Amino acid sequence: MKRTSRILDLIIGLGLLCVAGFAMLYFLINERFEWIPKQVLDLARDPEILKRPAAKKCSECHKAIYEDWKDSRHSISWTSKNFIEASENRTKEKCLPCHIPKSVQGEKPSPRLELRDEGIYCVSCHFIDNKMQGPYDLLAPPHPTFRNPDYVRSNFCGSCHQKTYKEWKATDVEDTCQDCHMPRKKGRLTQKAGFNLLHKKRWVGDHRFLHGEIKKKDVVIESEWEENFFLISLKNQTIPHSVPTADNGDPRLYLYIKFFNEAGEEVDNAKEIIAPQQETALPYNKKIQYRYRLFDKIFKAKIELKYQPAWSKEKTIVRVKTVHR
Amino acid sequence: MSLLRILLIAAAFVFIGILPIHAKDMIVKEPPKSLSKYYPPESKQPKWIQQMHKMSTHFGGIFVNLKEKDFENVDIHADKLVEEYRKTSEMVPEWEEYFNIKAAEDFAAAAKTHDIAKAGKASSGLGKTCGKCHAEQEVSVWAKFYWPRFNKIKVTDPISEKEIEFDDYMGSISSSFKGVTVNFGEGQYDRAAKALKVFKSRYMELKSTCSKCHATQDVKRFYVGQDADKAFAGLSQELNSEKPNPGKFWKNIGLIGKTGCKHCHLVHRTNSFIQEMWEK
Repeated sequence: MKRTSRILDLIIGLGLLCVAGFAMLYFLINERFEWIPKQVLDLARDPEILKRPAAKKCSECHKAIYEDWKDSRHSISWTSKNFIEASENRTKEKCLPCHIPKSVQGEKPSPRLELRDEGIYCVSCHFIDNKMQGPYDLLAPPHPTFRNPDYVRSNFCGSCHQKTYKEWKATDVEDTCQDCHMPRKKGRLTQKAGFNLLHKKRWVGDHRFLHGEIKKKDVVIESEWEENFFLISLKNQTIPHSVPTADNGDPRLYLYIKFFNEAGEEVDNAKEIIAPQQETALPYNKKIQYRYRLFDKIFKAKIELKYQPAWSKEKTIVRVKTVHR
Repeated sequence: MSLLRILLIAAAFVFIGILPIHAKDMIVKEPPKSLSKYYPPESKQPKWIQQMHKMSTHFGGIFVNLKEKDFENVDIHADKLVEEYRKTSEMVPEWEEYFNIKAAEDFAAAAKTHDIAKAGKASSGLGKTCGKCHAEQEVSVWAKFYWPRFNKIKVTDPISEKEIEFDDYMGSISSSFKGVTVNFGEGQYDRAAKALKVFKSRYMELKSTCSKCHATQDVKRFYVGQDADKAFAGLSQELNSEKPNPGKFWKNIGLIGKTGCKHCHLVHRTNSFIQEMWEK
């Protein structure tokens, strides 16, 4: 009886010791990692990580972020069929800095020669000045991570998305690029067994770099009839940059107007191409008006707004509206 | 003889040697096929021009170091120049005759005397071999490997929304332009107004086309910018008025022709004519 009780005490004692040890380690890693002696940290370091590894290497710990990135346009910035075609088999120099950036840090990056198929990958954005950087100061045993506030600021994305960044800046809207395109949710930065328990949950940005769908509420359409003219206005009322936007890509909104006579026959039509490269994209919160002369007696007009992203020939319907005279 | 005079003489020799030989009759013929393997897409790097830069650097390096009396580096550049010159002479067999290895060796030997005047004099023999090839081939090489090819550009016709060849697109712009001018000339103003919508749409699409190569906004604004916008607005105003004014109409047509079509054609057409000939 006495012996059983002792064993039980020992187990409980060891258990408590483990919990205390784990709590201490958790505290040290998440709150006071600077207390850990450098010699101890050096034992846990993986020098390969500081040699600009491929994304797969990073995925050994950051599996969730890696999976998100694999789904992103960034991961195929060098390999997408559309890019290869548009860049004349990757020979256009102007495309290279942002499709295979070496290091993104606030200004147009230089292109890199190695691991080009990885496109815009972990190292491009997180390995700056020979150290791993991110939105948090972290003790990640294989590599230290240093906090850089630019990771939650729009100017970071503006390194490549320069035109869009300027458009956003002109709006005075506080929401940053990351707020909309990398929405954060609480989660662990690492999924590696053991490490995932030692690191506390943090706000982690979505590394799919969500491309905002243009929804019905985003573009307000108004119309008006005059004696010999039909007027339409479009207003981008929710997206704090021009719509669509691109530095070099050619995304487009197509505005189609079909005019019908009393018998319901289509007698005329018109079209607008709303595209950044044609400098016709819809600026934030500003009404853009189009005016069409009516050559026939018109009874109704059908308005259709479609969106075609830069990487596709497919168009999706944003809005359809019929207006009667 | 003062050092300055010696340097001037040397510089004159260098320039005379490098300058192409001028001839009134220039034949622009397609560069040999073997050169293609030294340029993208066959090669990842533009190896031929890199080779030219290597030779040019060693050539210049000799005179820079002679001037600085850094004779150790003069000798290094002299040896390297001969080495690269020989290597270059073997790269394009069709151009073998442009090279004169003895002239390169003579120049290197003169440079190694560390006498800048001797080096300058000996450089002209070598420079002439470079100059002859440049005079006869440089335009062709630039036309073939440096100027972007218009036949690779595809344009989405805003009317049909189909992707078509650049040349065909130019043809369709031209047809829609004539739809405006011919109808106006016939006094068919409504038809001209309808044709103007099509022409404007196609013309403005060129902004996207320019962006396929040019990274800066200013380039496309030069051709399809505010002047063109104003001219189109003026045309639209005339065609939608009760009695269009021919003077104003033709003035705006002229503006579009001058600010857009002509400016772009002046820059791009000559080269595109040359490329077209080779691609037929």
